Amino acid sequence: MSAPMEIIVCADSAGQLWNCAVIELHSGTNLLSYRGGNSSPRALTVLNGEYILGAQLGKNFINVWEIQRKDQLQQKIVCPGVVTCLTSSPNGLYLVAGIAEAIYLWEVSTGNLLAILSRHYQDLTCLRFTDDSSHFISGGKDNLALVWSLASVVQLDSTNAPEPRHVLSRHSLPITDIHCGLMGPQARVATASLDQTVKLWELSSGEMLLSVLFDVGIMSVTLDPCEYYLFCGGSDGGIFQVSLCSQSLSRDKTFQSDNEGNQVFKGHRNLVTCLSVSMDGTLLLSGSHDETIRLWDIQSKQSIRSINQKGPVTNAFIIPAPANMFLPDSRPGIPLPRFSRHLNPSEQGEGVETGGVCVRLAPHTQVRPKETYLEKADKLYSLMSAVTDKSVFGSGENTKVRVSELEEEVRTLKKVNKDLYDFSAQLLTKPN
Amino acid sequence: MTKSKKKKRQDDFQKVKLKVGKTKPKADNATNINFRTKGIHLTEQLKKDGSAPTTHRKLNIKDLLSQLHHYSGTVKQGALVGLRELLTLHPSELDQHLSSLLSEVAAVFTDKDPNVRMSATRLLRFIAQSVPAERTCPFFPLLSAHLSCAMTHIETGIQEDALKVLDVLLDHYPALLAARPALLLTNFLELISHKSTGGGARKGQEGKGRSWALSVNPNRNVTGQQWRLTVLLRLGRFLQAVVEERRAEEGDVCVSGDLFGGLNGEEGANTPLELNWEELTYGKGSFQVFEHSGANPTPHSTFKLRPESQPGTGVSEGLSSVEAVRGFASTLVPLLLDVWVEASVSDRSKTDSAHLLTPDAMALMYQVLSVLQLLRKLTPQREHQDALDAWFRSEYLGEFKQQFMKNFPYGNLDTPKQRKRKDAKSKQTPTVPGQVVEPLALNILLCQVMVSMVILNQREGPAQEPDADWLMPLRGFVQETLSSGAKLSHRHLHTLLETVWRMVITQRSRAVTEDLLQAVYVQYQQMNLNLQTRTLLLSFFSRLYLQEHNHIHIARSKVLSRWLAALPIQLSQLGHRNPALSGWLLLSIQAAASRGNKDLLKSLHTHACRLYDPQEGSVVLLPAESQQRLVQLLYFLPVIPQGLLANLSRCCTAGRFSASLAASLIRIIHLRSSLSGWSVGSPDTAVCDVDYISFLFSILTGFSSDELSTLQEAGDESVLPPSPLSPLSLYPTPLEQFTHHWDVVEEVCHCLETLGSRSQCFDVLQNGICKNLTGLAVVPDSMAAGLLRAVARLLDQSVLPSEALLRFLSHCCLSLLSLVLTLQHTASETNHKREAVWGACVAALGSVPRLLRMVLQLLRVGDLCEEELPQLAQILSLLLQHTTLRNHMLANASLLQHIIQDLTRYCQGEAREQWLTDLLYCYSVTMATHRGNLGLRDIY
Repeated sequence: MSAPMEIIVCADSAGQLWNCAVIELHSGTNLLSYRGGNSSPRALTVLNGEYILGAQLGKNFINVWEIQRKDQLQQKIVCPGVVTCLTSSPNGLYLVAGIAEAIYLWEVSTGNLLAILSRHYQDLTCLRFTDDSSHFISGGKDNLALVWSLASVVQLDSTNAPEPRHVLSRHSLPITDIHCGLMGPQARVATASLDQTVKLWELSSGEMLLSVLFDVGIMSVTLDPCEYYLFCGGSDGGIFQVSLCSQSLSRDKTFQSDNEGNQVFKGHRNLVTCLSVSMDGTLLLSGSHDETIRLWDIQSKQSIRSINQKGPVTNAFIIPAPANMFLPDSRPGIPLPRFSRHLNPSEQGEGVETGGVCVRLAPHTQVRPKETYLEKADKLYSLMSAVTDKSVFGSGENTKVRVSELEEEVRTLKKVNKDLYDFSAQLLTKPN
Repeated sequence: MTKSKKKKRQDDFQKVKLKVGKTKPKADNATNINFRTKGIHLTEQLKKDGSAPTTHRKLNIKDLLSQLHHYSGTVKQGALVGLRELLTLHPSELDQHLSSLLSEVAAVFTDKDPNVRMSATRLLRFIAQSVPAERTCPFFPLLSAHLSCAMTHIETGIQEDALKVLDVLLDHYPALLAARPALLLTNFLELISHKSTGGGARKGQEGKGRSWALSVNPNRNVTGQQWRLTVLLRLGRFLQAVVEERRAEEGDVCVSGDLFGGLNGEEGANTPLELNWEELTYGKGSFQVFEHSGANPTPHSTFKLRPESQPGTGVSEGLSSVEAVRGFASTLVPLLLDVWVEASVSDRSKTDSAHLLTPDAMALMYQVLSVLQLLRKLTPQREHQDALDAWFRSEYLGEFKQQFMKNFPYGNLDTPKQRKRKDAKSKQTPTVPGQVVEPLALNILLCQVMVSMVILNQREGPAQEPDADWLMPLRGFVQETLSSGAKLSHRHLHTLLETVWRMVITQRSRAVTEDLLQAVYVQYQQMNLNLQTRTLLLSFFSRLYLQEHNHIHIARSKVLSRWLAALPIQLSQLGHRNPALSGWLLLSIQAAASRGNKDLLKSLHTHACRLYDPQEGSVVLLPAESQQRLVQLLYFLPVIPQGLLANLSRCCTAGRFSASLAASLIRIIHLRSSLSGWSVGSPDTAVCDVDYISFLFSILTGFSSDELSTLQEAGDESVLPPSPLSPLSLYPTPLEQFTHHWDVVEEVCHCLETLGSRSQCFDVLQNGICKNLTGLAVVPDSMAAGLLRAVARLLDQSVLPSEALLRFLSHCCLSLLSLVLTLQHTASETNHKREAVWGACVAALGSVPRLLRMVLQLLRVGDLCEEELPQLAQILSLLLQHTTLRNHMLANASLLQHIIQDLTRYCQGEAREQWLTDLLYCYSVTMATHRGNLGLRDIY
């Protein structure tokens, strides 16, 4: 079985030749390009491996392509305002866009607008999902990063507005980029900010784990899949690699390049706006406002390829190639519905047309109380201590029955043992 | 014979004849009392035991401890006094014998002799002062056992003295005491009440919580009320210790009870759990285990490192759960209510009106309420507090309302009258000296009592209508107290603010919020508040503001926005006087700015020029951290006007803050200009391009036009005079300023580089230099070096620099080169400067070939005097030696040759000096390699 093919998806703000291009990671050959318009920063996403969505720069719509039909727009999703950031959930069920201060959440299967979250005070800059689509993190120009639980946002209860699960509020200038690690709700989240710091958070508790101070504002951040290193793209064109394995226990540290993993990748001449690491953690992709995309070998810190673009790079990321991408005859599994612009489609009389019934489970049934590790440990513990309590055997006759059963078994075992002994003794004592 | 016999018989009992007038003969067995005695006091033992240190009575510690078992009280007391003496003289004894010492001393807590008990307490205090808590820890169970023994003793005197022992322990080991609260709490209850042992039937009638009833012991030498007061005082202190210990355990800076503890409480709101196994083994029995460090502890956790200490025999099991606290409260609260009722009733008999209280009753009531308040805080986790409050409300609201609120309105209305009465009364009957409280303090005390009740009553949820009847007077009172303009002490203000906070959060009505906030704002606007109070008020408002997203009525509050709008001007007025307070202000401003609060931004905009004034603005006066915040604040300004930019550029160049901060300032301005291109598509740029470029240019020059013009006229003493080798006279900037400027220029160059089209950018720069700087005769060296550097970095091959610019730059360059020569001879601290200047010159000469030619053209040997010839030669040889310049030098070979010929001609008369030899050598080497290259080229 061959290794999965990885591709670079990138877009620049000029958009002269194409809106976004797909490039083979290892050879650098240009595989595909999708035409029409250009995309805003952090607003290009691949939905379910079947569609590519890119928010138009400075306009209030989202361009949609079917992934196999590169030269034709499938549709334009018109939004209530200029889309500043966009992402889709990894399971392909939800689409989230930042429009001014508000977060819009659509359900992909019906196109319904499920929620408008306006907890940010200023424009949004970045949205990221966890890899299991259970949470998403939004960062804005109001210095805040909010962690939202998708289940709580989607619930139908309209009486109280959904609250973010955590408010990460330690940055002092706008947040520029967010990276969410693997492991679903137990992931670690890195946030970069213009205040020259990158902070690492724990998603489950909302605690800050680490804060690294740099000499310049940080425009982009990513972690390698093993989370050994943090990569931070500076506003002066440097990419800073921070080792997360250091022994120092201090929570705040200042970046200094040394020989133990804290290093600088030099090459870009302007803001580094996008960073992404390949699946195996050996290649680093960076896109910059100096109109180049560079590919770096992480081990040796060399730039192994530089791809020129026509304008400042707005989006660049590495993904495994979707199956449909290179099959011109394929069709997406689900046709994309029309995305509604209003919160309650039934009030506009649109909900009836679809004829379908939207079934959404109540929040408490949706989230099954799964047995946690500690509960398991508790059970184990009670089992262990139960020996002393003698509660394992139950009580009364049950115990008697059980005891007699066990005695019976002991007797049989003894008998078998004796037989075995006799037999072998016989065999051994036999002269020949 | 017979005669003699008779005689003998008579001899046996001879009759003594006593005659009148004669002295009585002495009896044979009479004692001679003609001696005198003198007492010998053996105050000390004669034997000297050199092995152990002793008291002045030569008693060592073992003797003293054994004397404590003596039956006589005096001996025991003497032993205690001796122990104290011994320990003061030989502190080392304390370490060795701590265990036996504590056990023996604790044993006499229950001694019958009051003097012994007093000495024991004194000794205990002495020991406690000198032994830290962690060393007493292992003996503490023993101590507390003896203590509770004394507290529950049947003799009242011993009970009273036990409280003194408790005082000592509370003073020195509050944490240890609080760690095992169960037994002590029961003891407290038993001190003021007794468990009613009545039949079950009666119990059933009375209900659940009435198994304890208040008791009065007529044998005491104080009144029942005074006794209760002393007990409640201790109970309050003890509960306080428990609460504090729990808080320390949680590592929680900001418990809801301590709302305004600090503005950074937001960070502390969710402090991570840090386990230290060493501490845990010696500390509490159990600890919370968190599911993958999630915020919620799992309730099922049963992991314990130690078996729990034996559960309390009384009401609660260590107060570690809500149920335990609730159980204790359900016992205690009825008792407290009884105490209250008795106090008020007994008081009513003395005064004519129910509103007026004697000082004793007042103090007692105050204690009752503070104990209630502490009970509320006892919950193990903060999230349980609401549950407890709800329970309090459901159980006791009615009674509280009836007992406490019945006479409430007089508290604020009649207090002046009451004070007068009190004064008069205390003059008439100065019988209770220990308990007379100062009238003013009494007043405030009363306020606090009522106000702390408000919190308790109001804790639950949004206020319902039924509460209005008793909330109204409370609210009115709080408003009046706050807005009366009287100065309140820190503690009282703190309590009042907590009340306001609760009211504002719970009531959710705009009108109420406005009124209350207005009252607080009156306090805030007072002059001459001390720092603590000011910070308190400030943090109240700022926390309220940070909460606003949950409460729409707060967000729309006019008072709050007025407060926000006034912040920038306060900051600018504060100046450098109080950096801490400025820090608080800045935090709030930053929060509001990041949320894009319009009022604040508007006010910030109007006061920005003052804040960022390069001479006396806050940005240069405050400490570095606040400076950074101020600089970050710039990002949020909607528009940065020209005047502000001018100020900022002066700030950057003046060196009042660090170069790295200046760099980040430039970066922020860069981000806010349309040229940075970070926020592609969104048109919100604060700086227009022209202003931005002129901002960069003024930082690049580093000197304002005024400063430059004064420099022109400064005369010769401060500047290096011009000479043929240095066509411009250089102003040597101080080393520090030079370094600062050098670092800032680096950032400016970077910004200019990323502007976009390089050629246009260079054009702008060229125009700027030509218009503003070419006329100068005196140039600061930092500026010259900075300009050369910027030009070298920005110049593209495609651009042709203008003649005027090149002429100016060549002058600069030559002057700097001769500066390098002079710097070579000075101390090593200028090394950095020399290298920087030399680097700038070389970079400029290397990137602009025409500049090199012009510099060479400037070197006219004929104009030089003899001393300058060596300098010229040195410059030339430096240039020739530099590898990157070599090709450019070769391009000007003819010019070079001409100069060298002139040089040799001028020096012909004398012996060839070393410098000339060096130069000729360099020249020949350069030429030779050149020819070699040419030769090679010819060959191929």
